[in-house]
Amino acid sequence: MTREPANVIAAEPAEPKAGGVTMPMWLVWALAIAGYWGMVYFDSRGGWFNTQVYAPYATLDEVTALQPASDADAFVNWGKVKFKETCELCHGEDGMGKPNQAPPLAGSEWVNGPANRVIRIPLHGLSGPIEVAGKQYNFASSMTAMGAALPAEDLAATLSYIRQAWGNKSPAITTEEVSAVKAATAGRTQPWTVEELKGIQ
Amino acid sequence: MSRGPFIFLAAFFALASSWFGLVLVPQAQLGRQVESKTVPAGDIYPQARPGLAAQGREVYRANGCASCHSQQVRQDGISIGMAVVKPGTNLTELVEAILKVAPELGRNRAARLVQELPKPILTGVTRMEADKARREIAVTGAKAVVTVEPVGPDIARGWGKRRSVAADFLFDRPVMLGSQRVGPDLASIGSRAASEEWLLGHLYAPRSVTPGSTMPTYRYLFEKRRIQREPSPEALRLPEAFKPEQGFEIVPKPEAKALVAYLMSLKATAQLFETPMLLPPEPASASTNAPAATSGGTNSPTRP
Repeated sequence: MTREPANVIAAEPAEPKAGGVTMPMWLVWALAIAGYWGMVYFDSRGGWFNTQVYAPYATLDEVTALQPASDADAFVNWGKVKFKETCELCHGEDGMGKPNQAPPLAGSEWVNGPANRVIRIPLHGLSGPIEVAGKQYNFASSMTAMGAALPAEDLAATLSYIRQAWGNKSPAITTEEVSAVKAATAGRTQPWTVEELKGIQ
Repeated sequence: MSRGPFIFLAAFFALASSWFGLVLVPQAQLGRQVESKTVPAGDIYPQARPGLAAQGREVYRANGCASCHSQQVRQDGISIGMAVVKPGTNLTELVEAILKVAPELGRNRAARLVQELPKPILTGVTRMEADKARREIAVTGAKAVVTVEPVGPDIARGWGKRRSVAADFLFDRPVMLGSQRVGPDLASIGSRAASEEWLLGHLYAPRSVTPGSTMPTYRYLFEKRRIQREPSPEALRLPEAFKPEQGFEIVPKPEAKALVAYLMSLKATAQLFETPMLLPPEPASASTNAPAATSGGTNSPTRP
Protein backbone atom coordinates (compact mmCIF):
# COMPACT_ATOMS: atom_id res chain seq x y z
CA MET A 1 0.00 0.00 0.00
CA THR A 2 1.62 3.20 -1.15
CA ARG A 3 0.89 6.41 0.55
CA GLU A 4 0.31 9.47 -1.54
CA PRO A 5 3.13 11.88 -1.37
CA ALA A 6 2.48 14.39 1.38
CA ASN A 7 3.44 17.34 -0.72
CA VAL A 8 0.63 16.85 -3.27
CA ILE A 9 -2.46 18.62 -2.01
CA ALA A 10 -5.75 17.77 -3.73
CA ALA A 11 -7.08 20.88 -5.43
CA GLU A 12 -9.97 22.24 -3.40
CA PRO A 13 -13.06 23.12 -5.45
CA ALA A 14 -13.45 26.84 -5.92
CA GLU A 15 -15.74 28.84 -3.68
CA PRO A 16 -19.20 28.86 -5.31
CA LYS A 17 -20.25 32.19 -6.71
CA ALA A 18 -23.73 33.51 -7.17
CA GLY A 19 -24.21 34.71 -10.69
CA GLY A 20 -26.82 37.02 -12.09
CA VAL A 21 -29.67 35.34 -13.91
CA THR A 22 -32.52 37.16 -15.57
CA MET A 23 -35.95 36.49 -14.13
CA PRO A 24 -37.75 33.93 -16.32
CA MET A 25 -40.71 35.37 -18.20
CA TRP A 26 -43.12 32.71 -16.91
CA LEU A 27 -42.44 33.84 -13.34
CA VAL A 28 -43.24 37.44 -14.24
CA TRP A 29 -46.50 36.29 -15.76
CA ALA A 30 -47.31 34.03 -12.82
CA LEU A 31 -46.76 36.90 -10.39
CA ALA A 32 -48.82 39.26 -12.51
CA ILE A 33 -51.70 36.77 -12.66
CA ALA A 34 -51.49 36.13 -8.93
CA GLY A 35 -51.51 39.88 -8.29
CA TYR A 36 -54.51 40.38 -10.55
CA TRP A 37 -56.39 37.50 -8.92
CA GLY A 38 -55.63 39.02 -5.53
CA MET A 39 -57.10 42.36 -6.55
CA VAL A 40 -60.24 40.76 -7.95
CA TYR A 41 -60.59 38.65 -4.80
CA PHE A 42 -60.21 41.67 -2.56
CA ASP A 43 -62.61 43.74 -4.62
CA SER A 44 -65.33 41.11 -4.38
CA ARG A 45 -64.96 40.29 -0.68
CA GLY A 46 -62.73 42.85 1.01
CA GLY A 47 -65.36 45.43 1.89
CA TRP A 48 -62.51 47.96 1.71
CA PHE A 49 -61.40 47.08 5.26
CA ASN A 50 -64.62 48.53 6.64
CA THR A 51 -65.07 47.26 10.20
CA GLN A 52 -68.82 46.99 9.72
CA VAL A 53 -68.63 44.70 6.72
CA TYR A 54 -68.26 41.04 7.61
CA ALA A 55 -68.61 38.03 5.35
CA PRO A 56 -70.99 37.12 3.73
CA TYR A 57 -71.38 40.80 2.82
CA ALA A 58 -69.01 42.48 0.38
CA THR A 59 -69.95 46.15 0.63
CA LEU A 60 -71.33 48.55 3.20
CA ASP A 61 -74.33 49.23 0.97
CA GLU A 62 -75.38 45.58 1.09
CA VAL A 63 -75.42 45.78 4.89
CA THR A 64 -77.29 49.09 4.82
CA ALA A 65 -79.90 47.73 2.43
CA LEU A 66 -80.81 45.02 4.96
CA GLN A 67 -81.31 47.29 7.96
CA PRO A 68 -84.77 47.65 9.39
CA ALA A 69 -86.14 50.70 7.61
CA SER A 70 -89.36 52.29 6.54
CA ASP A 71 -90.60 51.30 3.10
CA ALA A 72 -89.39 54.54 1.54
CA ASP A 73 -85.91 54.26 3.06
CA ALA A 74 -85.57 50.60 2.09
CA PHE A 75 -86.50 51.55 -1.47
CA VAL A 76 -83.85 54.25 -1.71
CA ASN A 77 -81.22 52.05 0.02
CA TRP A 78 -81.87 49.38 -2.58
CA GLY A 79 -81.57 52.00 -5.28
CA LYS A 80 -78.10 52.85 -4.00
CA VAL A 81 -76.99 49.23 -4.41
CA LYS A 82 -78.32 49.22 -7.98
CA PHE A 83 -76.73 52.61 -8.71
CA LYS A 84 -73.34 51.20 -7.73
CA GLU A 85 -73.81 48.29 -10.10
CA THR A 86 -75.20 50.21 -13.04
CA CYS A 87 -74.43 53.91 -13.05
CA GLU A 88 -71.48 54.64 -10.79
CA LEU A 89 -68.76 53.74 -13.29
CA CYS A 90 -69.52 56.82 -15.39
CA HIS A 91 -71.54 59.15 -13.17
CA GLY A 92 -69.28 58.70 -10.15
CA GLU A 93 -69.95 57.74 -6.55
CA ASP A 94 -70.46 61.41 -5.67
CA GLY A 95 -72.81 61.98 -8.61
CA MET A 96 -70.48 64.61 -10.07
CA GLY A 97 -70.01 62.83 -13.39
CA LYS A 98 -66.66 62.15 -15.01
CA PRO A 99 -64.81 64.19 -17.63
CA ASN A 100 -65.35 62.84 -21.17
CA GLN A 101 -67.76 60.22 -19.82
CA ALA A 102 -70.90 61.58 -18.20
CA PRO A 103 -72.43 64.81 -16.89
CA PRO A 104 -73.18 65.29 -13.18
CA LEU A 105 -76.38 64.04 -11.57
CA ALA A 106 -76.03 66.14 -8.41
CA GLY A 107 -77.94 69.36 -8.87
CA SER A 108 -78.95 68.38 -12.42
CA GLU A 109 -82.21 69.82 -13.69
CA TRP A 110 -82.71 66.64 -15.73
CA VAL A 111 -82.58 64.40 -12.67
CA ASN A 112 -84.73 66.71 -10.59
CA GLY A 113 -87.07 67.56 -13.44
CA PRO A 114 -90.33 65.87 -14.43
CA ALA A 115 -90.43 62.16 -13.57
CA ASN A 116 -91.46 61.18 -17.11
CA ARG A 117 -88.31 62.82 -18.47
CA VAL A 118 -85.75 61.22 -16.17
CA ILE A 119 -87.30 57.74 -16.51
CA ARG A 120 -86.83 57.83 -20.29
CA ILE A 121 -83.08 58.51 -20.16
CA PRO A 122 -81.88 55.17 -18.67
CA LEU A 123 -84.56 53.25 -20.59
CA HIS A 124 -83.24 54.16 -24.05
CA GLY A 125 -80.14 56.24 -23.52
CA LEU A 126 -79.36 59.82 -24.51
CA SER A 127 -77.28 61.25 -27.33
CA GLY A 128 -76.13 64.66 -28.43
CA PRO A 129 -74.94 67.74 -26.57
CA ILE A 130 -76.67 68.54 -23.31
CA GLU A 131 -76.62 71.45 -20.88
CA VAL A 132 -76.58 70.47 -17.21
CA ALA A 133 -76.62 73.00 -14.38
CA GLY A 134 -75.52 75.83 -16.64
CA LYS A 135 -72.64 73.91 -18.23
CA GLN A 136 -72.47 72.60 -21.76
CA TYR A 137 -71.47 68.92 -22.23
CA ASN A 138 -70.75 67.22 -25.51
CA PHE A 139 -69.39 63.71 -25.27
CA ALA A 140 -67.92 61.58 -28.02
CA SER A 141 -70.25 58.67 -27.30
CA SER A 142 -73.87 58.73 -26.30
CA MET A 143 -75.31 57.17 -23.16
CA THR A 144 -76.48 53.61 -23.79
CA ALA A 145 -79.75 52.16 -22.52
CA MET A 146 -78.27 51.20 -19.16
CA GLY A 147 -81.61 50.75 -17.43
CA ALA A 148 -83.44 48.86 -20.16
CA ALA A 149 -82.57 45.49 -18.66
CA LEU A 150 -83.44 46.46 -15.09
CA PRO A 151 -86.84 45.41 -13.72
CA ALA A 152 -89.18 48.39 -13.35
CA GLU A 153 -88.88 48.19 -9.58
CA ASP A 154 -85.07 48.35 -9.58
CA LEU A 155 -85.07 51.24 -12.02
CA ALA A 156 -87.59 53.15 -9.92
CA ALA A 157 -85.44 52.58 -6.83
CA THR A 158 -82.28 53.70 -8.62
CA LEU A 159 -83.93 56.86 -9.94
CA SER A 160 -85.40 57.57 -6.51
CA TYR A 161 -81.90 57.28 -5.08
CA ILE A 162 -80.34 59.74 -7.55
CA ARG A 163 -83.25 62.15 -6.96
CA GLN A 164 -82.55 62.17 -3.21
CA ALA A 165 -78.78 61.81 -2.92
CA TRP A 166 -76.03 64.45 -2.99
CA GLY A 167 -78.37 67.28 -2.04
CA ASN A 168 -81.03 66.47 -4.62
CA LYS A 169 -84.47 66.77 -3.05
CA SER A 170 -87.04 65.49 -5.51
CA PRO A 171 -89.89 63.10 -4.82
CA ALA A 172 -89.22 59.38 -5.29
CA ILE A 173 -90.27 57.61 -8.48
CA THR A 174 -92.73 54.78 -8.18
CA THR A 175 -92.63 51.42 -9.92
CA GLU A 176 -95.96 52.25 -11.57
CA GLU A 177 -94.55 55.42 -13.16
CA VAL A 178 -91.65 53.42 -14.64
CA SER A 179 -93.97 50.68 -15.90
CA ALA A 180 -96.20 53.31 -17.53
CA VAL A 181 -93.26 54.91 -19.37
CA LYS A 182 -91.97 51.48 -20.37
CA ALA A 183 -95.35 50.63 -21.86
CA ALA A 184 -95.65 54.01 -23.62
CA THR A 185 -92.22 53.74 -25.27
CA ALA A 186 -92.20 50.00 -25.89
CA GLY A 187 -91.20 50.07 -29.58
CA ARG A 188 -88.42 52.63 -29.32
CA THR A 189 -84.84 51.65 -30.07
CA GLN A 190 -83.17 55.05 -30.59
CA PRO A 191 -81.66 57.08 -27.75
CA TRP A 192 -83.42 60.28 -26.74
CA THR A 193 -82.19 63.72 -27.68
CA VAL A 194 -82.40 66.86 -25.61
CA GLU A 195 -85.03 68.40 -27.92
CA GLU A 196 -87.28 65.34 -27.66
CA LEU A 197 -87.00 65.24 -23.89
CA LYS A 198 -87.78 68.93 -23.54
CA GLY A 199 -91.15 68.22 -25.14
CA ILE A 200 -92.05 65.78 -22.38
CA GLN A 201 -93.53 66.99 -19.17
CA MET B 1 -22.14 34.51 1.84
CA SER B 2 -21.30 37.25 -0.55
CA ARG B 3 -24.88 38.65 -0.38
CA GLY B 4 -25.31 39.09 3.35
CA PRO B 5 -27.13 42.44 3.30
CA PHE B 6 -29.36 41.29 0.46
CA ILE B 7 -30.45 38.15 2.32
CA PHE B 8 -30.96 40.16 5.50
CA LEU B 9 -33.17 42.66 3.70
CA ALA B 10 -35.20 39.91 2.00
CA ALA B 11 -35.82 38.17 5.34
CA PHE B 12 -36.61 41.49 6.99
CA PHE B 13 -39.21 42.43 4.38
CA ALA B 14 -40.76 38.96 4.45
CA LEU B 15 -41.25 39.17 8.22
CA ALA B 16 -42.20 42.84 8.17
CA SER B 17 -44.92 42.29 5.58
CA SER B 18 -46.54 39.50 7.61
CA TRP B 19 -46.33 41.65 10.74
CA PHE B 20 -47.91 44.47 8.77
CA GLY B 21 -50.74 42.29 7.52
CA LEU B 22 -51.41 40.22 10.63
CA VAL B 23 -50.75 42.73 13.42
CA LEU B 24 -50.68 46.32 12.23
CA VAL B 25 -53.62 46.33 9.80
CA PRO B 26 -56.05 44.50 12.16
CA GLN B 27 -54.97 46.85 14.95
CA ALA B 28 -55.61 49.89 12.79
CA GLN B 29 -58.91 48.38 11.71
CA LEU B 30 -60.36 47.18 15.00
CA GLY B 31 -58.01 48.49 17.69
CA ARG B 32 -60.07 51.56 18.50
CA GLN B 33 -63.48 49.92 18.31
CA VAL B 34 -65.88 51.05 21.04
CA GLU B 35 -69.37 50.05 22.12
CA SER B 36 -72.03 50.46 19.50
CA LYS B 37 -75.81 50.56 19.57
CA THR B 38 -78.05 47.68 18.73
CA VAL B 39 -80.44 48.03 15.80
CA PRO B 40 -83.24 49.01 16.15
CA ALA B 41 -83.51 48.94 19.97
CA GLY B 42 -80.60 51.37 20.48
CA ASP B 43 -79.13 49.63 23.54
CA ILE B 44 -75.42 49.90 24.20
CA TYR B 45 -73.58 46.76 23.14
CA PRO B 46 -71.65 44.97 24.49
CA GLN B 47 -72.11 45.38 28.22
CA ALA B 48 -69.10 44.51 30.38
CA ARG B 49 -69.57 41.11 32.03
CA PRO B 50 -70.75 41.20 35.63
CA GLY B 51 -68.06 40.60 38.30
CA LEU B 52 -68.76 36.92 38.88
CA ALA B 53 -68.84 36.25 35.15
CA ALA B 54 -65.54 38.12 34.70
CA GLN B 55 -64.02 35.80 37.34
CA GLY B 56 -65.55 32.87 35.52
CA ARG B 57 -63.76 33.90 32.37
CA GLU B 58 -60.48 33.27 34.21
CA VAL B 59 -61.73 29.82 35.26
CA TYR B 60 -62.67 29.15 31.62
CA ARG B 61 -59.19 30.21 30.60
CA ALA B 62 -57.36 28.28 33.34
CA ASN B 63 -59.15 25.02 32.57
CA GLY B 64 -58.39 25.25 28.88
CA CYS B 65 -62.03 25.16 27.84
CA ALA B 66 -61.03 27.06 24.68
CA SER B 67 -58.97 24.12 23.45
CA CYS B 68 -62.14 22.12 22.76
CA HIS B 69 -64.84 24.80 22.53
CA SER B 70 -64.87 27.64 20.02
CA GLN B 71 -66.74 30.89 20.47
CA GLN B 72 -67.26 31.90 16.88
CA VAL B 73 -70.39 31.24 14.90
CA ARG B 74 -70.02 31.20 11.13
CA GLN B 75 -72.59 32.41 8.66
CA ASP B 76 -72.91 31.57 4.99
CA GLY B 77 -75.49 34.10 3.96
CA ILE B 78 -78.95 35.35 4.67
CA SER B 79 -82.42 34.28 3.74
CA ILE B 80 -84.87 37.10 3.12
CA GLY B 81 -88.53 36.35 3.38
CA MET B 82 -91.92 37.67 4.33
CA ALA B 83 -94.10 36.53 7.20
CA VAL B 84 -97.72 37.30 7.93
CA VAL B 85 -98.10 38.15 11.60
CA LYS B 86 -101.71 39.09 12.14
CA PRO B 87 -104.78 38.80 9.94
CA GLY B 88 -106.97 41.77 9.22
CA THR B 89 -110.74 41.60 9.37
CA ASN B 90 -111.16 39.97 5.98
CA LEU B 91 -109.60 36.49 5.90
CA THR B 92 -110.80 35.67 2.39
CA GLU B 93 -109.07 38.72 1.02
CA LEU B 94 -105.91 37.76 2.93
CA VAL B 95 -105.96 34.28 1.37
CA GLU B 96 -106.28 35.88 -2.05
CA ALA B 97 -103.36 38.20 -1.33
CA ILE B 98 -101.22 35.30 -0.10
CA LEU B 99 -102.03 33.34 -3.25
CA LYS B 100 -100.99 36.36 -5.30
CA VAL B 101 -97.53 36.55 -3.72
CA ALA B 102 -97.06 32.79 -3.31
CA PRO B 103 -99.22 31.01 -5.92
CA GLU B 104 -97.37 27.71 -5.38
CA LEU B 105 -98.98 27.37 -1.94
CA GLY B 106 -102.38 26.43 -3.24
CA ARG B 107 -105.72 27.61 -1.91
CA ASN B 108 -106.16 24.88 0.70
CA ARG B 109 -102.79 25.38 2.33
CA ALA B 110 -103.14 29.17 2.26
CA ALA B 111 -106.53 28.90 3.94
CA ARG B 112 -104.99 26.69 6.63
CA LEU B 113 -102.00 29.04 7.07
CA VAL B 114 -104.12 32.07 7.88
CA GLN B 115 -105.62 30.13 10.80
CA GLU B 116 -102.17 29.53 12.33
CA LEU B 117 -100.51 32.94 12.15
CA PRO B 118 -97.77 34.09 12.48
CA LYS B 119 -96.40 32.07 9.57
CA PRO B 120 -93.60 32.67 7.07
CA ILE B 121 -95.03 32.88 3.55
CA LEU B 122 -92.00 33.59 1.37
CA THR B 123 -88.34 32.63 1.88
CA GLY B 124 -85.25 33.04 -0.25
CA VAL B 125 -86.39 36.15 -2.13
CA THR B 126 -84.76 39.56 -2.58
CA ARG B 127 -85.44 42.48 -0.26
CA MET B 128 -87.41 44.19 -3.01
CA GLU B 129 -89.62 41.16 -3.62
CA ALA B 130 -90.20 40.77 0.10
CA ASP B 131 -91.07 44.48 0.46
CA LYS B 132 -93.45 44.26 -2.45
CA ALA B 133 -95.14 41.13 -1.08
CA ARG B 134 -95.42 42.81 2.31
CA ARG B 135 -97.27 45.73 0.73
CA GLU B 136 -99.61 43.36 -1.10
CA ILE B 137 -100.53 41.73 2.19
CA ALA B 138 -100.80 45.06 4.00
CA VAL B 139 -103.57 46.36 1.70
CA THR B 140 -105.89 43.68 3.09
CA GLY B 141 -105.44 45.13 6.57
CA ALA B 142 -103.24 42.25 7.74
CA LYS B 143 -99.86 42.80 9.35
CA ALA B 144 -96.87 41.37 7.52
CA VAL B 145 -93.15 41.78 8.11
CA VAL B 146 -90.02 41.36 6.02
CA THR B 147 -87.69 38.81 7.60
CA VAL B 148 -83.91 38.67 7.25
CA GLU B 149 -82.54 35.45 8.71
CA PRO B 150 -78.84 34.60 8.86
CA VAL B 151 -78.19 31.07 7.61
CA GLY B 152 -75.23 28.73 7.84
CA PRO B 153 -74.25 25.33 9.26
CA ASP B 154 -73.54 26.68 12.76
CA ILE B 155 -76.84 28.53 12.86
CA ALA B 156 -78.66 25.40 11.68
CA ARG B 157 -77.10 23.55 14.66
CA GLY B 158 -78.61 26.12 16.97
CA TRP B 159 -75.26 27.51 18.07
CA GLY B 160 -76.27 31.09 17.47
CA LYS B 161 -78.67 33.35 15.64
CA ARG B 162 -76.03 35.21 13.65
CA ARG B 163 -72.31 35.22 12.94
CA SER B 164 -69.86 36.40 15.57
CA VAL B 165 -68.41 39.88 15.09
CA ALA B 166 -65.62 41.82 16.77
CA ALA B 167 -68.08 43.71 19.00
CA ASP B 168 -69.00 40.46 20.77
CA PHE B 169 -65.50 40.23 22.25
CA LEU B 170 -64.88 43.89 22.97
CA PHE B 171 -64.40 43.53 26.73
CA ASP B 172 -62.77 40.09 26.73
CA ARG B 173 -59.06 39.94 27.29
CA PRO B 174 -57.71 37.60 26.12
CA VAL B 175 -60.27 36.76 23.46
CA MET B 176 -60.81 33.01 23.64
CA LEU B 177 -62.08 32.28 20.17
CA GLY B 178 -60.88 28.70 20.25
CA SER B 179 -59.67 26.86 17.19
CA GLN B 180 -61.06 23.35 17.65
CA ARG B 181 -64.55 22.05 18.00
CA VAL B 182 -64.27 18.88 20.00
CA GLY B 183 -67.35 20.16 21.79
CA PRO B 184 -70.07 22.49 20.54
CA ASP B 185 -69.56 26.19 20.00
CA LEU B 186 -70.25 28.27 23.10
CA ALA B 187 -70.69 31.76 21.59
CA SER B 188 -74.35 31.77 22.64
CA ILE B 189 -74.47 29.03 25.28
CA GLY B 190 -76.10 31.51 27.69
CA SER B 191 -79.14 31.84 25.48
CA ARG B 192 -79.64 28.11 24.85
CA ALA B 193 -78.57 26.40 28.11
CA ALA B 194 -81.66 25.33 30.04
CA SER B 195 -80.50 26.68 33.39
CA GLU B 196 -77.51 27.27 35.63
CA GLU B 197 -78.24 24.00 37.35
CA TRP B 198 -78.08 22.19 34.02
CA LEU B 199 -74.63 23.68 33.38
CA LEU B 200 -73.42 22.73 36.88
CA GLY B 201 -74.62 19.18 36.35
CA HIS B 202 -72.86 19.15 33.00
CA LEU B 203 -69.59 20.30 34.54
CA TYR B 204 -69.74 17.77 37.38
CA ALA B 205 -70.74 14.80 35.23
CA PRO B 206 -71.39 15.64 31.57
CA ARG B 207 -73.08 12.29 30.92
CA SER B 208 -75.59 12.88 33.69
CA VAL B 209 -77.36 15.45 31.49
CA THR B 210 -76.03 14.64 28.01
CA PRO B 211 -75.72 10.90 27.37
CA GLY B 212 -72.76 10.10 25.15
CA SER B 213 -70.88 13.32 25.89
CA THR B 214 -67.11 13.10 25.42
CA MET B 215 -66.40 16.00 27.76
CA PRO B 216 -64.16 15.21 30.74
CA THR B 217 -65.62 15.67 34.21
CA TYR B 218 -64.62 18.72 36.22
CA ARG B 219 -65.26 17.26 39.69
CA TYR B 220 -62.53 19.33 41.30
CA LEU B 221 -64.74 22.38 40.81
CA PHE B 222 -67.16 20.75 43.26
CA GLU B 223 -66.96 19.69 46.86
CA LYS B 224 -68.25 16.38 48.17
CA ARG B 225 -69.21 16.82 51.77
CA ARG B 226 -71.13 15.10 54.52
CA ILE B 227 -74.68 16.37 54.89
CA GLN B 228 -75.00 18.31 58.13
CA ARG B 229 -78.51 18.08 59.52
CA GLU B 230 -80.19 19.16 56.24
CA PRO B 231 -78.97 19.03 52.60
CA SER B 232 -77.59 22.30 51.23
CA PRO B 233 -79.95 24.16 48.88
CA GLU B 234 -76.99 24.45 46.49
CA ALA B 235 -76.40 20.71 46.35
CA LEU B 236 -76.65 19.20 42.86
CA ARG B 237 -79.70 17.08 42.14
CA LEU B 238 -78.06 14.28 40.21
CA PRO B 239 -79.54 11.19 38.58
CA GLU B 240 -79.24 7.96 40.60
CA ALA B 241 -76.14 6.67 38.76
CA PHE B 242 -74.12 9.80 39.52
CA LYS B 243 -75.15 10.38 43.13
CA PRO B 244 -72.52 10.23 45.87
CA GLU B 245 -72.88 7.64 48.63
CA GLN B 246 -75.61 7.97 51.22
CA GLY B 247 -75.12 10.90 53.58
CA PHE B 248 -72.97 12.96 51.20
CA GLU B 249 -73.81 15.82 48.83
CA ILE B 250 -72.09 17.60 45.93
CA VAL B 251 -71.92 21.40 46.18
CA PRO B 252 -70.25 23.72 43.63
CA LYS B 253 -67.13 25.58 44.69
CA PRO B 254 -66.95 29.34 43.97
CA GLU B 255 -64.97 28.55 40.78
CA ALA B 256 -67.81 26.45 39.40
CA LYS B 257 -70.35 29.16 40.19
CA ALA B 258 -68.16 31.78 38.52
CA LEU B 259 -67.65 29.60 35.44
CA VAL B 260 -71.38 29.03 35.12
CA ALA B 261 -72.01 32.76 35.50
CA TYR B 262 -69.55 33.34 32.66
CA LEU B 263 -71.20 30.72 30.46
CA MET B 264 -74.62 32.22 31.11
CA SER B 265 -73.23 35.63 30.09
CA LEU B 266 -72.21 34.30 26.65
CA LYS B 267 -75.09 35.64 24.57
CA ALA B 268 -73.91 36.87 21.18
CA THR B 269 -77.38 37.45 19.80
CA ALA B 270 -77.73 41.24 19.83
CA GLN B 271 -78.89 42.77 16.56
CA LEU B 272 -76.10 45.01 15.34
CA PHE B 273 -75.68 47.14 12.26
CA GLU B 274 -73.02 44.77 10.92
CA THR B 275 -75.28 41.74 11.34
CA PRO B 276 -78.65 42.74 9.86
CA MET B 277 -81.41 40.53 11.23
CA LEU B 278 -85.15 40.77 11.10
CA LEU B 279 -86.15 37.48 12.66
CA PRO B 280 -89.58 36.05 11.96
CA PRO B 281 -91.96 36.30 14.89
CA GLU B 282 -92.13 33.22 17.09
CA PRO B 283 -95.20 31.05 16.48
CA ALA B 284 -97.63 31.61 19.32
CA SER B 285 -97.78 27.94 20.29
CA ALA B 286 -94.02 27.36 20.61
CA SER B 287 -92.91 26.85 24.20
CA THR B 288 -90.50 29.51 25.38
CA ASN B 289 -88.54 27.18 27.66
CA ALA B 290 -87.15 24.74 25.12
CA PRO B 291 -84.69 22.18 26.44
CA ALA B 292 -81.01 22.82 25.93
CA ALA B 293 -79.73 21.67 22.60
CA THR B 294 -76.14 21.02 23.58
CA SER B 295 -74.70 17.59 23.35
CA GLY B 296 -70.97 17.41 23.81
CA GLY B 297 -69.03 16.01 20.91
CA THR B 298 -71.95 15.53 18.57
CA ASN B 299 -73.14 18.12 16.14
CA SER B 300 -76.80 17.41 16.55
CA PRO B 301 -78.82 19.67 14.26
CA THR B 302 -81.21 20.90 16.90
CA ARG B 303 -82.61 24.36 17.40
CA PRO B 304 -82.78 25.91 20.84
